[in-house]
Amino acid sequence: MRCLLAIVFLPFAVAAATPNYDQHIKPLLRQHCLKCHGGDEQKSGLNMQNYAAAMKGGSGGRIVVPGRSSQSLLFEIITDPDDDSRMPPNKPMIPQKDIALIQQWIDGGLLENAGDKSMLAKRDTRFHPSANAGVKPANPAMPGKLPPIRTPKVMRPLPVMSMDTSPWAALLAVAGQEHIRLLNTDTENVVGHLPFPEGVPNVIRFSRDGSVLMVAGGRPVESGKVVLFDVKTGKRLAEVGDELDAIIAADLSADHKLVALGGSGKVVKVYSTTDGRQLYKIEKHTDWITSIAFSPDGATLATADRTGGLHLWGAKQGGIRLSLLEHKAAIRALDWRSDGKLLASVGEDGRIIWWDAKDGWPTINKSNAHSPQRKPGIYGKLRNGVLATRFDQRGRLTTVGRDRVVRMWDEKGRQLTASRNEALPLTVAIVHTGAKAVIGDQAGTVRFWRLTK
Amino acid sequence: MLASEADSVSFRRDVMPILFRAGCNAGTCHGSARGMDGFMLSLFGYDAKGDYFRIVNEMVGRRVNVAVPEQSLLLRKAIGAVPHTGGELFKPDSEYYQTLHRWIAAGAPDDADDVPDTVGIELSTERFVFERGGERSAVKVTAVYDDRSRRDVTTLARFHSNNPSVADIDEHGRVTAKSAGDTHVFARFSRFTAGVETIVLPPAEGFRWPDPAKNNYIDELVFDRLRKLRIAPSELCDDETFLRRVTLDLVAHPPTVEEYRAFMASTDPKKRADKIDQLLKDDAFADYWTTLWSEQLRIIGGNYAPYGTHVKAASAFHEWIRRQIRSGRPLNEMVDDMVVSSGSNLQNGPANLYTMLVHARRLNPKTFAADFSQVFLGIQIQCAECHNHPFDRWTMDDYYGFVSFFSGMKRKPGVETREQRIYYDTKASPALHLVDKRPMPAKVLGAVEPAKHNGDPRRALAAWLTSPDNEHFSRNLANRIWAQLFGRGVIHPVDDIRVSNPPSNAPLMNALARRLVESGFDLRSLVRDICNSRVYQLSSQPNASNKLDTRQFSRSYLRRLRADVLMDSFVAVTGMQRGFKDWPKNTKAIDFYPRTGGDTARAGCGDVFMETFGRSPRKSVSSTDTKLEPTLSQTLHLMVGNTLEPRLSANGRLNRIIKESATPEAALEELFILSLTRKPTAAETVGLRQLIGDAVNDEHVYRDIFWSLLNSTEFSFNH
Repeated sequence: MRCLLAIVFLPFAVAAATPNYDQHIKPLLRQHCLKCHGGDEQKSGLNMQNYAAAMKGGSGGRIVVPGRSSQSLLFEIITDPDDDSRMPPNKPMIPQKDIALIQQWIDGGLLENAGDKSMLAKRDTRFHPSANAGVKPANPAMPGKLPPIRTPKVMRPLPVMSMDTSPWAALLAVAGQEHIRLLNTDTENVVGHLPFPEGVPNVIRFSRDGSVLMVAGGRPVESGKVVLFDVKTGKRLAEVGDELDAIIAADLSADHKLVALGGSGKVVKVYSTTDGRQLYKIEKHTDWITSIAFSPDGATLATADRTGGLHLWGAKQGGIRLSLLEHKAAIRALDWRSDGKLLASVGEDGRIIWWDAKDGWPTINKSNAHSPQRKPGIYGKLRNGVLATRFDQRGRLTTVGRDRVVRMWDEKGRQLTASRNEALPLTVAIVHTGAKAVIGDQAGTVRFWRLTK
Repeated sequence: MLASEADSVSFRRDVMPILFRAGCNAGTCHGSARGMDGFMLSLFGYDAKGDYFRIVNEMVGRRVNVAVPEQSLLLRKAIGAVPHTGGELFKPDSEYYQTLHRWIAAGAPDDADDVPDTVGIELSTERFVFERGGERSAVKVTAVYDDRSRRDVTTLARFHSNNPSVADIDEHGRVTAKSAGDTHVFARFSRFTAGVETIVLPPAEGFRWPDPAKNNYIDELVFDRLRKLRIAPSELCDDETFLRRVTLDLVAHPPTVEEYRAFMASTDPKKRADKIDQLLKDDAFADYWTTLWSEQLRIIGGNYAPYGTHVKAASAFHEWIRRQIRSGRPLNEMVDDMVVSSGSNLQNGPANLYTMLVHARRLNPKTFAADFSQVFLGIQIQCAECHNHPFDRWTMDDYYGFVSFFSGMKRKPGVETREQRIYYDTKASPALHLVDKRPMPAKVLGAVEPAKHNGDPRRALAAWLTSPDNEHFSRNLANRIWAQLFGRGVIHPVDDIRVSNPPSNAPLMNALARRLVESGFDLRSLVRDICNSRVYQLSSQPNASNKLDTRQFSRSYLRRLRADVLMDSFVAVTGMQRGFKDWPKNTKAIDFYPRTGGDTARAGCGDVFMETFGRSPRKSVSSTDTKLEPTLSQTLHLMVGNTLEPRLSANGRLNRIIKESATPEAALEELFILSLTRKPTAAETVGLRQLIGDAVNDEHVYRDIFWSLLNSTEFSFNH
């Protein structure tokens, strides 16, 4: 009876329908696998004839990870598209309904029998605004009268490659060719410009308290730099990095003391803003660094790359904390929820993942979140990448993708609202009041989208 | 003006050709499967949509900057303004730069759907003939589009020469003659390749056309070509050489002493033609061709054969082929039978096309289609699995459409364990195009519309394949037959026929193919024509003008005997049989094919002699699996191995020759005729007579002489 209660309270939908080994899985294994991986013969040291032995795995280690079919060898090998690698050998693929059952069994926590407890830990990832790491400053920074600057002549607007809203003020910073445009999000008018002669701003981020604007970018395969601006005066506070290529990813820590940057060099470099010294390097990534984000409390650094690699590091020293394996293609953006409990990652594999930052668990893994409509005569995989993501101050997540749609999700991963953009949206932000979303797109347009309750 | 119209620059029509011309999408650069330095393009531009995405949308703002076009990485890299592994590709004032710049300035737009597609290219000339090295000329390239528009694309094409030491071509299409010879220079644009025959003549001084007699159309075409190239053919070979050559070529063993004497004694002016007719009627001719087919179709057999290659199946297939060839079945009908057959591999010999051609536990349609095309068409289409064929006309559409003929080919176990039943699963879905995963219904090469069929498309495939109108098929067969008799195809290698590997004599190739079709695909008719030609009967002795020729058939090229023919020749000359493991006694080497008492997965040629002398182990359909290069181990094998030594005086044949010959000179002559199909020269007789000295009845001396004759290259080569 107690067992039953425990199941009822699990945050996952582990209802009576969740498959278990004895009733659902063993008959499938008997049919497809046990001849070679059972009591009589244990190819590769694997015996799946009983639950305990199946959990132990084969000579290559565990074959199932509770809750993670995507990380389970068993699931991978029965769904391998390559006829020569797939199990069972020399046979057609196991029927889809059986594969689905095995997937549900793994994702449901590897129940042994109907009375068993899921191996999945109970977790509470609800959002409490009071837990926000940042505290609203007494006088949120707004720019004064900034000196006029000369912006270069352009043939057409630069795509809005980056953009950010102040967390506490009605302020928006938008990337332009060799400059940043500042807008008042209430009036939606331009209030000033900041020069960025270094080139194209690929990353724009306000500091957690809204007083500093970090701009990173440069000229492709020539130079890259991170510049910190004082929001009120527009003065340059610091310049960090002297890269050989435009910086693609960067972030500023909440205490303004650290800047992390990366790009085509595949290395993440972390600098001190006080003396410009490089503190440490992260060389684990095997491809271009595409996104970097400090946690709101400044203790953790998340870094992502173009092959889907995502790692969490101790922000002070650069020691590895967790590797978050799930993305199968380039990660395009990372963002921390303001309470620091969840990290969101989005990428070209079409996934949005809400990670529990405590243990790196993908609490919600949403695939095909931005799938474009299939036109007749079009086959194969559609490009469904998710290009940008931001949490707002209420814990809601906004994403934009290659389907040209902006979507907003609640903390359970349910879509709250959506809006179609004409050009390909590249970046998104929510104004500090939470009343509007701002979308920057490939045509160089900045669009304010009024969110309804 | 590069662009089609002054204002609008099209990505496919204007931008992609620049990426091709500048080499950006070449296999060694961004066209490699994983790209280069983080940027990938489709190889030679087979995937325009994907390339557009990667340039414009993958990392928006990086590779093209529509705000300040000259800041685009695409341009900065190309002019070498920033570090670039590929270096500077063109200058900022070039047409290429200007076109790309205008495209980016226009917002780097993708094309609307109706961009005219290239349907072919035309060159400004068909032939260059240079009188001497150093002369120059140039070729212009015109692209033809499906809206019938035309455009000069010389500045966008890429050029290469098949033999730059004869004539070279630069990136502007300018051709420079180097040294005497003939080759082709090529232009490539879009997915098309076109060639220009290029001849550099040797000096006219001192050249006199000998005007040899012509026996048939083959002589006319070969001599016509030679005359143009200022190459004089060698003399007609003598009767001895002819007899040995034609006997080895047609029945795979040397003539006997009796055959020699009868042929030499005959004064009939038609005796060569009669000899050819006689050999064509010999069963050994059919047996030899059975083996050549069996080798191409990779027949092997084992007692354990999980994928249908059982000994009994192998035998059913091999014997079926033998029956077809012996009875003179038209080759196209024979192939047709194989292509459409189904059923038990033990009962229905030709169905083993689907067990033997690809030895694998699963009949992979892609592998099968590639091998099928290589064997029956001489075309290697597998390039087009991942990109349009860079040096031929075949596109990915052609490839996947062709693969779909076999997507339903299945095997299932029969009633007994060694049996497999071949069938076509009409519910199988067609192959999917690699780029956009479109289903590609079965379609013959080069066609636009899919094949019409009621579930099993092989009937349609066979009808197209073996049709007299399918010149790919007839040309492939004719070329392989020619190559078997000359050691070199008119198109060479025989199984790599493509636009960029043209025939060394195109009219000859066409005539041979036409003749094969007109004879009703009769093997013997074409072989008869070839053997009766003066070209086939030329001496291997070169003259001053043809000693460098290796591809125009101006003399007989020396050919080492194939392993099986060499083995059978040893057997024929020594009279001592040779057994093969797992085969009945007295099996001829040309009837032997890889067989094993065990698993066919481990079958090789199973014979040291065959391995040493390069008999095809049937590991692939490639014509290069049969090795004809002489090696040191071959020499050592004959000198000290167990093939020759125990045979020399076995069966008492040598002893009998000594005994029955009136004089040592007569014995020598007998040994020479037996081994080399010729009498010894006077010098040879004198020298060897001295060696024999007084030991006129001592077998040891004759044995040494016999050993030397069989070890000579004259024996192991057809000349």
